[in-house]
Amino acid sequence: MAYSDKVIDHYNNPRNVGTLDKSSGQVGTGLVGAPECGDVMRLQIKVNPETQVIEDAKFKTFGCGSAIASSSLATEWVKGRTVDDALTIKNTDIVKELALPPVKIHCSVLAEDAIRAAIGDWKKKQGVTAPAAVEAVKG
Amino acid sequence: MHPVVPNPETLASQACWSCLREIEKAAHFCPHCSKLQPPADSDYFTFFGLQRRLNINLDALEKEFYSLSRKVHPDLYARASAEEQRWSTDQSSLLNDAYRTLRDPIARTEYLLELEGVKLEEQSRAATDAARAQGKEKQQVVPADLLEEVFELNMQLEEARMGKKMGERDEQVEKDLSTAKDRFEAMLASSTSDLHQLWKEWDQVIATGADAEDPLRIAVRDKMVALLNRRSYVRNLVRDVNEALAA
Repeated sequence: MAYSDKVIDHYNNPRNVGTLDKSSGQVGTGLVGAPECGDVMRLQIKVNPETQVIEDAKFKTFGCGSAIASSSLATEWVKGRTVDDALTIKNTDIVKELALPPVKIHCSVLAEDAIRAAIGDWKKKQGVTAPAAVEAVKG
Repeated sequence: MHPVVPNPETLASQACWSCLREIEKAAHFCPHCSKLQPPADSDYFTFFGLQRRLNINLDALEKEFYSLSRKVHPDLYARASAEEQRWSTDQSSLLNDAYRTLRDPIARTEYLLELEGVKLEEQSRAATDAARAQGKEKQQVVPADLLEEVFELNMQLEEARMGKKMGERDEQVEKDLSTAKDRFEAMLASSTSDLHQLWKEWDQVIATGADAEDPLRIAVRDKMVALLNRRSYVRNLVRDVNEALAA
């Protein structure tokens, strides 16, 4: 199968590989898996408590080139966004950007899952204030 | 081996295109005039006249495969009508697909689960779409502690591989890798025997004549889905550790 140039670029030069301090109150960690292929992905975000902007993001993925490229791209995209804005990233955006073939769509799903899981973990750490904020957005 | 319970799929009848007499729906040939029939719109189990069971007599399956292969072979129909030539090609390729799928234990189980309405390839994306629509966090299709464990095992494996890559002819690295290999292979073996246990449960449920909505049938089905999901992680670990050892 031929990978797109963008996938190859992210695969050869993955951005933001690494670890953030899991125990920090500012850090959210998402650990997700794709049973279709047995890939696992960990994505972490560091959020500014004042602005709710994601200031740093790191990932570590065990999987195929598309899974690595999807998570690398996901870290690039979430950086500098607010958590609510980051939640609008969809797997189809990643598919388009990386020109993933249909058999690799689950890799992009994994990256979206990882973003959502990391933000969910961070929100949990913020305790009771997070649900209230969500309500306010809805109303 | 099994008591003969009629398979409703094969019982449905149709008319032979040539002599117009009644034949079984999944018949490859008309028993009256021996003419080759067009491929029936049936699943692989029905194609081989089997019930939807997971314990299969592989010797019998192989014999039937070779016997049918000879009978539907396109060479035999070189002088037949264009329609019959096409049917012989279609029957041959259906036969090959059915045999390849059913003889492999994992492919057979996955195929049966798809027949039972499980979309193995879709389950993760479907859960993501649902989570996004509801603004909730996705329910992972495998348990969180398994993911943690798999991630941790991958980290250890990577460390050992890095050590090896750096040219460390470290005996400890080799030892760690082969310990990991033993552990992963034991995990895979135990998942295989768990699967065989579930096959037995499945076949028992089917033998009672349970229909597709039967709660027991659905329960065993879902247990097999969970097991295969877990298995794909273990299978990758085994593959990676073997690669690392061979490198």
